[in-house]
Amino acid sequence: MQSKRRFQWAMLTPVILLLIGLTVFPVVYTISNSFTDYYYLASDGKKFIGLDNYVKVVQDEVFRQAVWNTVKFMLLAVSLETALGLAIAVLIDSLKKGAKFLRVSLLIPSLLPPVTVALIWQMMLSNHNGIINHMLAWFGAGPFNFLMDIHIAFNAILFIDIWQWTPFAFLLLYAGLQAVPRSQYEAAKVDGAGKLRIFTHITLPNIMPTLLLVILLRTIDTFRLFDKVNILTGGGPANSTTTITQYIYRHGVYNLQIGYGAAASIIMVALVLVFSVIYIKRSLGGNEHEMRR
Amino acid sequence: MRKRIVIMLSLTLAASIFTGCQSNTQSGAQSNGQSTNQTNSESNSSANNQSKSEGKLVVAARGGSHVAAMEAVKAEFEQAHHAKIEIIGLEAADLKQKISLDAKNKNGAYDLIMADDPWMPEFSEAGIFANLSELGVEADADFEESSLALGKHPYGTGDLYALPFSGNVQLFFYNKQLLDSYSEEVPQSWEEVLEIANKVHAEGGLTGYVIRGQQGNPIVSDFLPIFWAYGGQVFDENWSAQVDSEAGRQALDTYSKLLAVGANYETTDIVSSVSEGRAAMALGWPSWFITGETASAEYAPIPSKATADGQAASTGMIGNWMMGVTANSQNQELAADFLSFITSSETQKKMVEHGGVPTRKSVYLDSELAAKYKHFPVQLEALQNSVARPRTAKWSRVEEALGVELSAAIAGTKSIEAALADANEAINQIMQ
Amino acid sequence: MNRLKATPKYVGLIAVVIWALFPVYWMLVIATQRDVFSEVSILPRAITLEHVISIFTKENYILPLINSFTVTVASLLIVLVFGLSCAYVLGRRTFRVGFKKTLLIWILLVRVLPPITFALPLYILMNDAGLLNTKIPIILAHILVNLPLVIWFMMAFFYSVPEEIEESARIDGASEFAIYSKVVLPLVLPGIAAITILSFMASWNEYLYSVIFIQSPGQFTIPLKLATLNSEQELTEWGKVASGGFISMIPVLLTAIFMQKHLMNGLTAGAVKE
Repeated sequence: MQSKRRFQWAMLTPVILLLIGLTVFPVVYTISNSFTDYYYLASDGKKFIGLDNYVKVVQDEVFRQAVWNTVKFMLLAVSLETALGLAIAVLIDSLKKGAKFLRVSLLIPSLLPPVTVALIWQMMLSNHNGIINHMLAWFGAGPFNFLMDIHIAFNAILFIDIWQWTPFAFLLLYAGLQAVPRSQYEAAKVDGAGKLRIFTHITLPNIMPTLLLVILLRTIDTFRLFDKVNILTGGGPANSTTTITQYIYRHGVYNLQIGYGAAASIIMVALVLVFSVIYIKRSLGGNEHEMRR
Repeated sequence: MRKRIVIMLSLTLAASIFTGCQSNTQSGAQSNGQSTNQTNSESNSSANNQSKSEGKLVVAARGGSHVAAMEAVKAEFEQAHHAKIEIIGLEAADLKQKISLDAKNKNGAYDLIMADDPWMPEFSEAGIFANLSELGVEADADFEESSLALGKHPYGTGDLYALPFSGNVQLFFYNKQLLDSYSEEVPQSWEEVLEIANKVHAEGGLTGYVIRGQQGNPIVSDFLPIFWAYGGQVFDENWSAQVDSEAGRQALDTYSKLLAVGANYETTDIVSSVSEGRAAMALGWPSWFITGETASAEYAPIPSKATADGQAASTGMIGNWMMGVTANSQNQELAADFLSFITSSETQKKMVEHGGVPTRKSVYLDSELAAKYKHFPVQLEALQNSVARPRTAKWSRVEEALGVELSAAIAGTKSIEAALADANEAINQIMQ
Repeated sequence: MNRLKATPKYVGLIAVVIWALFPVYWMLVIATQRDVFSEVSILPRAITLEHVISIFTKENYILPLINSFTVTVASLLIVLVFGLSCAYVLGRRTFRVGFKKTLLIWILLVRVLPPITFALPLYILMNDAGLLNTKIPIILAHILVNLPLVIWFMMAFFYSVPEEIEESARIDGASEFAIYSKVVLPLVLPGIAAITILSFMASWNEYLYSVIFIQSPGQFTIPLKLATLNSEQELTEWGKVASGGFISMIPVLLTAIFMQKHLMNGLTAGAVKE
């Protein structure tokens, strides 16, 4: 027994050490910085200023807009990606052949480096030289200033995210669809159920866990949106594309107002915790469920 | 099946070990090749100095024509000093961020850095630069005075921390053919600019005036000259914000009206649209245009008056790129030598044909060069009459706050009055 | 009749495929055209490799490629070695770890919390530790990105190994470590293959930590180099950016084509597990 315990500890210790060094330390440091006026380049030391940073962050209308943008982006991206992904999954599920080829070619956007994705779209969306404005011109529309027009920029980034991540939603949902027992479909058909009825009564309940998984994974990822915004718009025009991560980056990293950035980070963590409680509960629950099996 | 996986995995592993070795030999080779820092990390500080004295400098620079110009002339220095110069080109915001993040690093990643002139107070106060006089680099009188003043801390009077590398000064760009076709002269006031822009837009359906309205540095640099022309100042003598003023409202009103008959583009599109005659006028920096051989835009000083009979103000914003030696460089002497070399009169003359913008009077007045580059007199004059942005270590944050509000105003999410009032408040809060 | 009914379906499919792949194709076109903008056309004309060659000769693109590979492989090895052993202990019923739930929540939180919260304090700490000019900070950051993924993913695989197999090895007198390395690990190889591919991609694509941690040009990774290439010029050289972008996709595309099965297993494991 003793040796088993030792073995266990030997197996766990490296990870625990890594986690302490890489997460506990930084988090504690961030919390303590958030109460100071720490400016990275300052020649004098940091001063304790209590809750000043938090008050300033919450009062900053740019921060509130960043939160709103992030939430709006999250809701729109997650729902559209899931819906489109489901539609494509159903479409491909109904194919008799070619599904395998289609599956991998459709997936490619999700695998690409986000930086590369941002660059591809930057070239395609450019004013005079971008292919999209050229195509629109063939139909007599445009040109649009996609990334600098306040009415379009947010939607352009949303569109790019949908382009990149719908395939991921599709793949998971497609796998879910494949796992639905065919016998249930047969039985429903015998009972004379219509297509829509089969979908709502058999397909949906069966893929519901997968659907939730897709929604959760995409929620976590869209909430931290940064790469595309930083490369394509830098948060502009008029903060219409600023996300929380971008906001923290501007203040904490670019302006090196570490204390202020730390306070904003802590607020972001609090926001994330609110919706991740569901995720954590579910993941732990799922695991226990397995263990009981 | 499983066998295949085993084979695949062991292959991956073998490949990774191979790459691991590769990277080791790579970093070994880097001591006289790619990266000094790689070497720094693997040796103690004395070995460090040794590897440095073989001569290896990393220059953090603003990308584009500046880098091209340096690359074109660096070979001479490399041969004379048995040194290797590595230049990394970065976009302005990235450059500032990387320099700042590296500032507290004991073995700095960069030996020489370029800094946009408004960053100078912040960088000097933070001790990022080495004192040049202590390294034996003297300010000589051949540098244009307004440029040289930027490199001293405090401004104009203090010790020398950086030398002017690129004499960028903001100018007024216009498409001559287009203006000619409307039989218009180069405008002298912003009222006229707006009039011409309206005309070009209404009659030809073309873009009258292009603003560079991205949030942040671009929109602020693009707006300030107009603000100055209307008699505005960002700060009064007590560092209290003066953006929310009659001048501010009028200037921003003109700016919005220009956008209404114009467009809001990024650099690349500004250059191409003005050169190709799709747009009539814009503000810009000479270094954008020098590089493009086909660019056919003409330049003139920025209109200095609000109305034709208004009072003239200095509106040519100086935007010099300064270069200095970092305080955490391991090779300051060699870096100082390179700085003297790259800012010397001969080198500047050579760099001109690769897109360099001189900062020395002797280069501007060189008869051979002046014959070839017709814009030199305009540029020197603009440089001599230039205005510097407010010298405060907090300028970056001020610029950001102002940029946010200007961007909101031209996007129409805020009224001009509200945007300027909010900007004023935000700036005062930053300055405390 | 049937064929007629199916037509809209195929039109839809073709539209979806074009939608997904056109941007990738277009990047390749820009990368191989001398001047793509003088006359825009969907089909490529005279193909040139000058941009591809120039990013290697002028931009030294090979260095970030090597850096990215080094960082990815080094972090991957560490994550696999430590992550697998941790997942094994957490995933087996036979072990009882008192603070298991705490540890699990903690690992999940690392996956859920936004990386920007860790990035800046880590950078300052690395600076204080004098590690900045090495690859250690960025390797550690990549470990942080992938560790929760590996542990969480592999726990289920370890759980599904029948306990009897371990028991019989134990009766044969094998040590705990031998049971783990010689008996259990070979059984979960498909899982390892899948998670290796996923972590490799996550590392290869990582941008946020790189942009904060890396200052020295000798350390640049591919995403950072690309972003720099894109913004450094006052007038962007799109041919170069596009060729760099296309090269950055190659490892990913190769994986998608040649290791499709494991990739799909990896991506859908969570979905099918339910």
